[in-house]
Amino acid sequence: MDSGPMSVDSAALDPPSIPNGANEPKHGGYSRFELELEVQSLANPQYLNYLASRKFLTNPAFVAYLDYLQYWRRPPYLKYLTFPTSTLKMLELLQQEKFRQDIISPDLAQALIADGMKTAVEWHREG
Amino acid sequence: MDIPMAKDLDGRFDRLEKAVNAMVDSVAKNTPSEKIAEELVAAQENLYDGLKLLERHQNNHARIQQLRQETALYDTQIKDIMTSLWNMRKELKAVPTTTHPTTGPKYQFTTAELLAYARRISRNTLPPPGVTNGVDMSTPEPSSQPTQTPFTSFNTSFTGTAAGTPGPAMSTPTPNPTLDPTQTTTTTSQQTTTAAATTAKPTTTESKLPPHLQPAVNPLHNAAFQPWPTEAQIRSGGLAAIQRLVDAGIDPRGYDPEKEERRRQAEEQARKEAEERARQEREVAERRMREERERMARERERARMQQQMQQQMEGAGAGAAGVDGRRDGGGGVAGAGTDKPKQFTFLGADDDDDDDEDED
Repeated sequence: MDSGPMSVDSAALDPPSIPNGANEPKHGGYSRFELELEVQSLANPQYLNYLASRKFLTNPAFVAYLDYLQYWRRPPYLKYLTFPTSTLKMLELLQQEKFRQDIISPDLAQALIADGMKTAVEWHREG
Repeated sequence: MDIPMAKDLDGRFDRLEKAVNAMVDSVAKNTPSEKIAEELVAAQENLYDGLKLLERHQNNHARIQQLRQETALYDTQIKDIMTSLWNMRKELKAVPTTTHPTTGPKYQFTTAELLAYARRISRNTLPPPGVTNGVDMSTPEPSSQPTQTPFTSFNTSFTGTAAGTPGPAMSTPTPNPTLDPTQTTTTTSQQTTTAAATTAKPTTTESKLPPHLQPAVNPLHNAAFQPWPTEAQIRSGGLAAIQRLVDAGIDPRGYDPEKEERRRQAEEQARKEAEERARQEREVAERRMREERERMARERERARMQQQMQQQMEGAGAGAAGVDGRRDGGGGVAGAGTDKPKQFTFLGADDDDDDDEDED
């Protein structure tokens, strides 16, 4: 998939409502909440590298979307993240233009992967 | 004993000595004087007083010494307490605490919520036991205390010694898709034989499993832990599903495969019903057509018969007598002259008409 033209003109939407079982519009079988919960995919450095290589991270509309997704940092949305640390860190980094440009380097992605996996094992050893 | 006390006592001794000397002199000169004797008594009493004072002084001194000792003791105690307090403070300050950002919003939550959340995310934040991502967990980190967490101890026992030791991972309900029952039994028997061999020749047997058997006892052998969604998880997600829809040329906006499926099924149902109805209608029409055809065939038959009759009648105009005679003869044989052959019965009325016409 390629970064096609996207509109930045539309005003930022409010975050989706928490699903309550009511009938809500589905997009491809998924509610907006479910789809935007996949913000967690951004925690995967490889995926970020993929997005960068497809020029998503330089698309103003996508950057605006990344900014919009920051609502996951606060309740009541926060508690639905099952990969909270890596997701929020990447979301924070992705707000910086430099990181959005740098992540196109496979070396950086690999370094992030290696560091993340090492830290995941080591962080609970202290004490 | 300090100097003023000694001087005081010395003075008293001197006075007594002088008084004694004066007394001795007066006795020697044989001029006893009452005044000298009184002076001697006074000097003696003075010395007694001095000695009593000295006793008190000594007691006081001892008390002071004792108090000093006590003070020193308490001083050391205070110092100890201060030192331990200081150490405690240092330890407290050394305890790593979560640094809360002073700015930014703060959110309320309950301990129960926090624990529930921790339980929910733990499988994504903590690697399963034995999974090390290639990090050597048997040696402690250089910076941290050499504490044995359950994970490292398990890891050591698992990779280092005792291949058959049931580690914590064996009791954890980890789903194990790679290990099929037959493999398990072979592994168990292998372990049993290994154990038997170990008891037989404990000095020569290798306590470690050969590398090719390690995946069999450790389902997480060489497994890696990623603190983020894997590519497979992303590919099975909703965004990927939408991408597939877009690739298939379907606008995912407001598109619900379940609803579409229901709609498709409903359409299928409607189509089947329509077909059924059409079939029934066709059958009815066919039946009608068949009946129509039969009716027409009957009519044609009747017309043919009629024609035949007419022809017969016309042909019989010349030799009617012969026919009548034949008929009568036949009737005579049958014994019922009024009966006509069956094929003519229903043409009776026409017959008469025809006869009339013919006669006219």
